[in-house]
Amino acid sequence: MAVSGRRLPSPAADRIFRAAAGLCALSVLVLLALLVSTLGWKSLPAVRAFGAGFIWSNAWNPVTGAYGALSSISGTIASTLIALLLAVPLSLTIAFFLVELAPPAVSRPVGVAIELLAAVPSIIYGMWGLFVFAPLMSRHLQPALARLGGGSSLFAGAPMGIGVLTAGLILALMILPFMTAVVRDVFSLVPTVVKEAAYGLGATTWEVARQVTLRYGLRGVIGAGVLGLGRAIGETMAVTFVIGNEHRLSLSLFAPGNTIASTLANEFSEASDPLYVSSLVYLGAILLMISVGIQWAAHSWLARVERRSGAWR
Amino acid sequence: MRRRNVAARRLVDLAMRLAAGGAAAAGILALAWILATVVARGSSAFSWDFFTRLPTPPGVAGGGLANAMLGTLLLTGLAALVSIPIGLMAGVYLAEFGRESRFAAAVRMATNILMGVPSIISGVFVYTMLVATLGHFSGYAGAVALALIMLPVLVRTTEDMLLLVPGALREAGLALGTPRWRVTRDIVLRGARKGLLTGVLLAVARVSGETAPLLFTSLNSPYWPGRLAQPTANLTVTIFSYAMSPFRDWQAQAWGAAMLITLGVLAASLCARLLVRGK
Amino acid sequence: MLNALLVEPAVGTQRLPLPAPDLAAAPDVKIAARNLDFFYGENQALFANSLNIYANRVTAIIGPSGCGKSTHLRAYNRIYGLYRNQRASGEILLDGENILAPGLDLLDLRRRVGMIFQRPTPFPLSILENVTYGLKLYYRLRPSELMERVERALRQAALWDEVKDKLDQPGMSLSGGQQQRLCIARAIAVEPEVLLLDEPTSAIDPIATARIEELVDTLKASFTLVIVTHNMQQAARVSDYTAFFYQGKIVEFGTTREIFTNPRLQKTEDYITGRFG
Repeated sequence: MAVSGRRLPSPAADRIFRAAAGLCALSVLVLLALLVSTLGWKSLPAVRAFGAGFIWSNAWNPVTGAYGALSSISGTIASTLIALLLAVPLSLTIAFFLVELAPPAVSRPVGVAIELLAAVPSIIYGMWGLFVFAPLMSRHLQPALARLGGGSSLFAGAPMGIGVLTAGLILALMILPFMTAVVRDVFSLVPTVVKEAAYGLGATTWEVARQVTLRYGLRGVIGAGVLGLGRAIGETMAVTFVIGNEHRLSLSLFAPGNTIASTLANEFSEASDPLYVSSLVYLGAILLMISVGIQWAAHSWLARVERRSGAWR
Repeated sequence: MRRRNVAARRLVDLAMRLAAGGAAAAGILALAWILATVVARGSSAFSWDFFTRLPTPPGVAGGGLANAMLGTLLLTGLAALVSIPIGLMAGVYLAEFGRESRFAAAVRMATNILMGVPSIISGVFVYTMLVATLGHFSGYAGAVALALIMLPVLVRTTEDMLLLVPGALREAGLALGTPRWRVTRDIVLRGARKGLLTGVLLAVARVSGETAPLLFTSLNSPYWPGRLAQPTANLTVTIFSYAMSPFRDWQAQAWGAAMLITLGVLAASLCARLLVRGK
Repeated sequence: MLNALLVEPAVGTQRLPLPAPDLAAAPDVKIAARNLDFFYGENQALFANSLNIYANRVTAIIGPSGCGKSTHLRAYNRIYGLYRNQRASGEILLDGENILAPGLDLLDLRRRVGMIFQRPTPFPLSILENVTYGLKLYYRLRPSELMERVERALRQAALWDEVKDKLDQPGMSLSGGQQQRLCIARAIAVEPEVLLLDEPTSAIDPIATARIEELVDTLKASFTLVIVTHNMQQAARVSDYTAFFYQGKIVEFGTTREIFTNPRLQKTEDYITGRFG
């Protein structure tokens, strides 16, 4: 049988292909290693100067060379907490609405709209926050909250519109579409038969959603929450516009503050003094550790949930 | 044993349904408000000058952001050029050769971690590597920072899409005597084409709206993007500096740029959806 | 051949089923469907179904795929109401009361009529919580009463001995057959009057199937059972009455013995002997 004109397959080509692909895969590892080591290396001067006390020091004076991360860290935690407290229940409720209550004529376009909104860049939220929401906060919402709070130190201070609370609210809006989309996907994966079994026993729609759908999709919902948390913590642009950018520790939610990301965004390009830069990198390294730590904690939690509730599909 | 009040259960059910509808309406309204603001304030900045001229000092009329638009296209394009081949090949490795190995597992974990790195940290990293060392800001550094964000996303997307191609197809190709690299190119990549394109589109769209990584890498510039080895104009950093400035006309331009970016991202996302739909 | 003496009923008309001739006393009618039509959107799936379900007996519904068996069964607890484009018309009388009436209390209906599905559907809860799920919807019970009901239900479902030491384990950790018996226990814990079983053994192994079939036989002392099955041998084994469905209509109904040994209609005989379906 003639095999003229047919080239024999060359094993060398396959080896080259596999090697090239492997090299690209390796580059991911290399990049990560480079990232971690560079940050570590660059933050060393600041670590040597301040040690772990950097974390609970509230100093920040480029002139005297004293730096501390406390206000940035507390601002990050506060704004993220506010964001999650709002976004998690809201996303659950909206997803419940989309999956169980809305007729297809409503749930389909709204679902698409939510997914498109999740793609809108965060700087847009920041701008809206600064130009539209902050004046609203200052003129109406903050005075109202101050009255409701009755002089509580949580709502003390001049209602300037910008501040930790505003940043938290904008952050909530920013992670809302993304979280809603994920939770909606989780809810729609619950097998119809299981829901029918609950309805068949005589449960109401709300009872089925809370007792069956939520339990069934718990793992996915927690995953969504953690994803939202991860996004919120590292978020720069939505927050920098409205948080006020002051290294200030205050009990009041109305007070301006900063987050680690906003500090970096505002000060990095102007920092010339090596200790200043190193302190900023130290700050960034802390942010990185928090982000990665959250992801790791989420993975192990999810693995535990999986083991406890038996075989998930 | 007492019977529970059925009417009470019904009431709770009704209340929760109403609350759900209300929450949905509130959330959607807020988001619609944001988009409406962008459109309203942004389109009022649109003009022929806006699209064709260089920026002018505040208060001077006739300025535009043409350089920033070009700059964003250039930076995004360069980032894509760098990250797509590497990300694709890495994804190919993980899907085709790395099912069991510890190396592949490590790469996967690294990809996950990289995906969780805040974008501003990526900017800090590239700063220390390419800006501090070379002594100046540059468009190249900006593009690399963007590429860094795209890379893990592309790796994951590629691996996921390739894994969707049934193993039987690969086996059929190999059984015919086709070399591995051709099976991958002609059968697997071809089969996952739509999903891959969608993934790339979405990654590019996401990165074009990023500001933080560019803040200390490519910075911004009032000139046309010429040699990329210097600060390069781009829309997102422009929005940041113009919006935070006290000048009315600059703020208006910031809205215009914001609308442009939003339109671009939405258009790319819609394209991606249509691609998936047309499967 | 009796077949030759009978004319096949014309399309759209149904003869009311004859009472069982060889049972000691004529049993009460628990559910009576009268002229039940069913629609999926524009497509009609059931045509003027009229059927008697007798109390404390097992009625099997058999027929080829797609003939409307499950559709008919699901009308009895109005579970189809979850889906916007599905609707039924006609009457279904449960102890004389029409459950297709618009104002009907659905929650109460589902307390009285329980359902077991094709796939085992344990909730993502512990075994104990699964069994008490329905109970807690309707009753406030002291812990001792609760455990009493749980044990009773699990014993009736022939599952007590296997799970009594691990009630806190997740329901989903049981085997397929055990999961289905758990679903049965869950359904009977609320002490319904009727149990609807929609191909309950189609997703489990033969040994577990046999155990569930034994169960069905003991359950009819306390409940009225309607079982949809595509397995004719199963219908012959477990049921007292059998209804043969074809293309959305009830072709023949009678005691199981009659249907399987001496069917009146040719089509029934063809199905029973495996000539189609």
